Amino acid sequence: MLLILLFIILFHLASVVLLFISTINNAWWTKTNSTADIWQICTTNETATYCSPVPSTYGEYIQAVQATMILSTILCCIGFLSFVLQLFRLKQGERFVFTAIIQMLSSLSVMVAAAIYTDQKDAFHNNDKEGDYGYSFILAWIAFAFTFVSGVMYLILRKRK
Amino acid sequence: FAFQFPRLRISWGLHLRLRLLDQNLVKTAMAVKGSVAAGHFIALFCIIAVLPSATAIKIYTRNKVYGVRGEDVRLSCYFWSWEWLSDDVTLSWSFRPEGSRETISIFHYNNGVPYIPNEREFKDRVEWVGNMGWRDGSIKIKNLDFTDNGTFICEAKNPPDIVGSPSSVQLVVYEKGPVQAGVVTGAIVGAVLGLALLIVVLIYLIKCLMGRRRVPVKDISIVEKGKSGKAASGRQGQVVYASLDQSSKKFHSEKKSKGVEGSKKEKK
Repeated sequence: MLLILLFIILFHLASVVLLFISTINNAWWTKTNSTADIWQICTTNETATYCSPVPSTYGEYIQAVQATMILSTILCCIGFLSFVLQLFRLKQGERFVFTAIIQMLSSLSVMVAAAIYTDQKDAFHNNDKEGDYGYSFILAWIAFAFTFVSGVMYLILRKRK
Repeated sequence: FAFQFPRLRISWGLHLRLRLLDQNLVKTAMAVKGSVAAGHFIALFCIIAVLPSATAIKIYTRNKVYGVRGEDVRLSCYFWSWEWLSDDVTLSWSFRPEGSRETISIFHYNNGVPYIPNEREFKDRVEWVGNMGWRDGSIKIKNLDFTDNGTFICEAKNPPDIVGSPSSVQLVVYEKGPVQAGVVTGAIVGAVLGLALLIVVLIYLIKCLMGRRRVPVKDISIVEKGKSGKAASGRQGQVVYASLDQSSKKFHSEKKSKGVEGSKKEKK
């Protein structure tokens, strides 16, 4: 029982970490000299790195991506706190329904974020031929999988002594 | 001064008592005090008169102002002068276009009258929105265009306070006001979290209400059980209470007068 508990906690923490890295790191779109993410575009030349906020040509969709990424991170953290709370409050045999709902919402959120970014890629990057998705983008999709599996696990599991 | 007056009164009283008839001495005391006060005032006046030469008129404007094409922008200019505001106070605004070395004058204020030259570039676009009484020399430029990119210089003079350097503000005109970074983001995050919180609170309230409805039913069942199980003891308890009541009443009636007894008997 303790082993399962440990595994679930680690899984949840891993998804939180993934979400944080994906939201913060500047690697959603990489080109030879510059990297871009949902917050800023950084250009490196030999001497220094210049970062400037995302230009207004990106439109409002980038703000939706920002919002949903932040939302999923917050929900995942709240889910962890709720899991710890439910661990002590629930009666024997009951399921962690509340935590499961929060995790599912977080998973939905990050899916929406990644989906919008994938769809609007051309609008964001002016139909750039060169350049490719960075690791933050990939981590966002992996975080979606993790939070989804975590939510399902909370739905299935029952509290035992 | 507030502290000095009581002392003056006390000393005055003393003077009156000690040298009531000696008017000359009293008069000299008054004269000495008056001269001391005058000396204070003269010193203060000297300090105030000396100060302005050490300071100059100060003019405050913003460093950079952002405007949107087609909209209005307010260029604020505040000044501070140690002198009182005289009627000859003047304020002028001039404009130096971006990349140019020439300065054109677009506004002048003198003798309580604002002068707007209405030159070809700023024709009917400059408006005086300041208030000299509040030392506010702001103007408003209406219907901005990209040719308004440049530096606006504000200069004020308040005779005799005429030493002071003008202050400049740079105007940058944008194509259209972009959606402020983060407005949509904050709105989405706030709305979703707020909604989630509302739903949680609602569910909690509903659970509380459902819990309250069940409780009275439980109470009734407990009471009924109590009645059937403890009927005998209850009656005994009643009997005990009744006897106590009777005894107390008897006790009361003995003590009180006959007039009251009648009413007590009625109550029984």
